Amino acid sequence: MTNALTVAGKPQAGADLLRIVRINEEIKAVVGVAFKINIMALNAIFLAKRAGTTALGFGVLSNELRVFSQDLRTCMGSLTDLIHRCVNEVSLVLQDIRHTKLLRDAVDLSANPAGQAILQRREAGNAEHRSRLGALRRQLQRSLEDAFRLVELGGVLAKSAKIEAAYGQAFAGPLAQVSGEFDGIVEEIRNSLQALRRSAFFSDQ
Amino acid sequence: MKKTNVIYQDGDHKWVAIVRDPERPGHLVDTNEYLVTHGGAGILLDPGGAEVFPAVFSALSSEFDPTALSAVFASHQDPDICSSLALWLEFNPGMRCYVSWLWSSFVPHFGGTAETFACIPDEGMEISLNGLQLQAVPAHYLHSSGNFHLYDRQAKILFSGDVGAALLPADQDGLFVENFDAHIKHAEGFHRRWMGSNEAKRRWCERVAQMDIDMLCPQHGAIYRGADVHRFISWFDDLQVGIVGS
Ligand SMILES: [Fe+2]
Ligand SMILES: [Fe+2]
Repeated sequence: MTNALTVAGKPQAGADLLRIVRINEEIKAVVGVAFKINIMALNAIFLAKRAGTTALGFGVLSNELRVFSQDLRTCMGSLTDLIHRCVNEVSLVLQDIRHTKLLRDAVDLSANPAGQAILQRREAGNAEHRSRLGALRRQLQRSLEDAFRLVELGGVLAKSAKIEAAYGQAFAGPLAQVSGEFDGIVEEIRNSLQALRRSAFFSDQ
Repeated sequence: MKKTNVIYQDGDHKWVAIVRDPERPGHLVDTNEYLVTHGGAGILLDPGGAEVFPAVFSALSSEFDPTALSAVFASHQDPDICSSLALWLEFNPGMRCYVSWLWSSFVPHFGGTAETFACIPDEGMEISLNGLQLQAVPAHYLHSSGNFHLYDRQAKILFSGDVGAALLPADQDGLFVENFDAHIKHAEGFHRRWMGSNEAKRRWCERVAQMDIDMLCPQHGAIYRGADVHRFISWFDDLQVGIVGS
């Protein structure tokens, strides 16, 4: 589709498609990590149970982290759905560009009287595709912000778990390790989401 | 812009050949499109690829109102045959596309709705153009496995799709074959490689040898007329096809 990528004044759609593919890959990575947190939280809950009364606070936080990982997966699921709809709309916009260019060339070359009306009808269809893409773009941006806020909360939980681990007496070592891993992973997700927020898909329009 | 040439006319019954596009990028194979008109209605045979649509459309517009096209006939499913379908439909959403049943769910990838397609059964069919009877003649495996030619018995013209096609050098752009022996050299490699079945070729040659044909119009290259029509049929009959390499 190099043709559509380079049509004068309209390089946007081709670049957008590549950007969305990048965003989707990043989200897939986050979904994978969110799944890992779920299993880690389960292990932490068992560990806290074994540690008994000395790790009550840690147990509560582990439960919260497990809820967090489920929320995160739901959130990523809706982002993935939005991405797929964006890919669909961008593909339509790409087709529109090529199709309309060929139509316009035909109408210009032939000076066919019916041509202008047909071009106008076509342009109206194109504008609808573009505005649908614009709405999806804004929706995706909002959903990313929601995900980011959720991850900030996850970060707080992980840091609190690190503090609670210190009270684990005989279990302090393993609890510290688990909470350290939580913190590392949440930080990883945070960085991914931050990169996504900076994607030119949202800024360069 | 492509040239239009009226190759047959009897009142409002016309055959217009749309050929040779000097602005066509070299990586696209050159194609011929044929417009048949009768009583104000028109059918376009092998409407061509999307990339050449502006050139074909503007040439056709100089002869005929494109919104009055009632149908297109696609000899087979290739992109150089009908990838422009969606663009033609913009001008005439009710237009039908006649194509082999074999491709009736493949060609819609180029455009159209379920109502667009009229499936041609393997044995062929009559297509009426405002009272003019045109005959879809089976030419399966030459080269496509679901392939038709279109015969106008009144005009004595056979549109033969890729059969008879020649990939001509740029300086040989005549509308008609003038020197058969020189011309056929440019057709030989194409027929050997693109045509898949000697058996199918035999049957086609037998069938069209019986038909009364003044002009044989391929989708690529020059038109055969008069004695060159039968010269071509017997040349093709003798050729071994379905061969890769020399
Ligand atoms: Fe073909
Ligand atoms: Fe062809």
